[in-house]
Amino acid sequence: MELFLMALTNGIMVGGIYALVAIGWVLIYKCSGVLNLAMGEMTLIGAYLSLTFYSMGVPFLLALLISISIGFVLGILTERIFLDKLIGEPVLAVIMLTVGLSFLFRGSVELIWGTDTRVFDPPIFSLEPIMIGPVSISEVYLWSFIAAIILLIIFVCFFKYTRWGLAMQATADDEMAALSIGVSARFVYAVAWAIAFVAAGVGGTLLGNINGLNISVGYLGLLVLPAVVLGGLNSIPGAIVGGIAIGLLQNFTGVYLDRFFPGAVKEVAPFVFMAVFLLFKPHGFWGWERIERV
Amino acid sequence: MSTTFLPCGDYHQNYAQEHAWWQTKLIKGKMILLFLFLFVFIPGVADSYWISVCNMVGYTILGALGVQLLIGYCGQLTLGHGAFIAVGAYVSTMLILEFPWPQFMLDWGIAYPVSVIIAGFAAGIWSVLFGLPSARVKGFYLILTTMAAQFITVDFLLTQYVSQIGGRGQAFSLPVGTIKIGPWVIDSDIKVYYIMIILVIFFCIVMSNLIRSRVGRAWVAIRDNDISAEVMGINVVKYKLLAFFVAGFIAGITGAFWISNLAAISPEHFPWFLSLFLVGVILIGGVSSIHGTIFGAIFMVVVMELLQLAVMPLADTYPKLLMDFLFIKEAAFGLAICLFIMFEPNGLAYRWWQIKNYFNLWPFSY
Repeated sequence: MELFLMALTNGIMVGGIYALVAIGWVLIYKCSGVLNLAMGEMTLIGAYLSLTFYSMGVPFLLALLISISIGFVLGILTERIFLDKLIGEPVLAVIMLTVGLSFLFRGSVELIWGTDTRVFDPPIFSLEPIMIGPVSISEVYLWSFIAAIILLIIFVCFFKYTRWGLAMQATADDEMAALSIGVSARFVYAVAWAIAFVAAGVGGTLLGNINGLNISVGYLGLLVLPAVVLGGLNSIPGAIVGGIAIGLLQNFTGVYLDRFFPGAVKEVAPFVFMAVFLLFKPHGFWGWERIERV
Repeated sequence: MSTTFLPCGDYHQNYAQEHAWWQTKLIKGKMILLFLFLFVFIPGVADSYWISVCNMVGYTILGALGVQLLIGYCGQLTLGHGAFIAVGAYVSTMLILEFPWPQFMLDWGIAYPVSVIIAGFAAGIWSVLFGLPSARVKGFYLILTTMAAQFITVDFLLTQYVSQIGGRGQAFSLPVGTIKIGPWVIDSDIKVYYIMIILVIFFCIVMSNLIRSRVGRAWVAIRDNDISAEVMGINVVKYKLLAFFVAGFIAGITGAFWISNLAAISPEHFPWFLSLFLVGVILIGGVSSIHGTIFGAIFMVVVMELLQLAVMPLADTYPKLLMDFLFIKEAAFGLAICLFIMFEPNGLAYRWWQIKNYFNLWPFSY
């Protein structure tokens, strides 16, 4: 029972971070129709930026803020330089462009920061676990979850109440109508990429706090895919549920199935789940179902 | 980008001429020169370093042919082709090392060829298994299932289970002499080169004949619009799965061929990077073009080697460069893909077609 509760809480906590990154992914897809495979490298860039500033002696929150603002600029630049030209191109071209971007980003990250595992030093969160009833949670997980939730709320408010957010919703809903009432679609695409970069950066920083930061944190970018498939590609609530579900799935398989399939079952389970899930419900739980059959 | 224009004054007079492989005497001459170049010139002139580069090119061509078939001709996006190459390589290795071959088969050296063919079929069936979702989903969702194929096959099954057979742990070593075809023991780069060149020519011919047959036309129809293809009476699911089988078969043969070049085989030879690399190769070379596959492979491998040759002299002064070169290579590969998609979406094959037509039509370009 204790094991079960621990897997449950850890799953939800890590799932919160996945949900955060998944929101960035869904945002890009919703606004510009780009299926982004470079999400993992975007988390890496954000995480390494905050780590660099933190190890230079900047307080953690300030370092995070600086990395967020650099991420914002980088997102706009990426959209302007690479993706602006490809609006309306076939889906393969756009996907492969993001694959190209992911190689470019990863190569640059390895070139600048090397491949050794780096940790936030001195540690930001204490290593003492916090006891909630019978369950112990490490402080990193708890704070990551809280940060993820706060960011999720900020994002939701942003979309509901600000001018930019409303413009983005309008573009996602019907691009032509949005253009005709004076929303600049190119501006919206750029902001979507910027926000995705920010979300990825924060997610990466939190993950880097858990286990230290190295290139494999970028693996998270791939875990986002099962999450968004589960929720439906164009649904923000779906991304949150999907992220938490994938976090749970990972922790439960890690706890219960590792005995039967020793090794990397935790890493593969989301993908097996995704492949099977796609057979039965390809549009996810909340995605739009296009009526088109093969 | 279908056929090249014939020079002014050359006309086809019957259908057989139009379907001929070598349509004019000039083309026949050029082809004979090409064969001489491949079979006599390169083995005679190149040293073992460049032969190994050529082998790498051939391996890339063979691997990318299957991707070209799936993406370029059947429209089924795949990002997990490395998994099927891995299946071929592992099936062949396991058969050679673990299967109790009758002594006469070992003596006659037919164990390896037989294992290559079995590997092809095994990889084909494995590929069909992961192509099954294509009956229901397409586009981006298919990318996800093929990606799952990569992680399930290489990162899970091969790393965690197959590599443990015989208690070896990580890699299977292939001692010299285990791989032989007939009386020839495949132990040097030049022998691998000859196998490679024969396989490449064989599969290019098979592919181009498939593409212009009934099967190929069905694939192209599915690629262009699967709904209208079904309306026209094409059994979409059957042909999609057939495409997956053929692509997997080629991948399996590729993997089984490649073990002749390796001293040991481990899952690290087939990372996800390989799958992405192969898709990058056909994008750079040109989608839906067999020429494109070849050009893309040559471009990617040879340009990277040249980059390495250019960087190496600097390594004496900046020793850090030697280690960082891998990362530079990765970033350069990504940038190359981005630039090609943005500025040359038809790939190198399109340029080649333009140049060829220019010279064919010169000086009367009408």
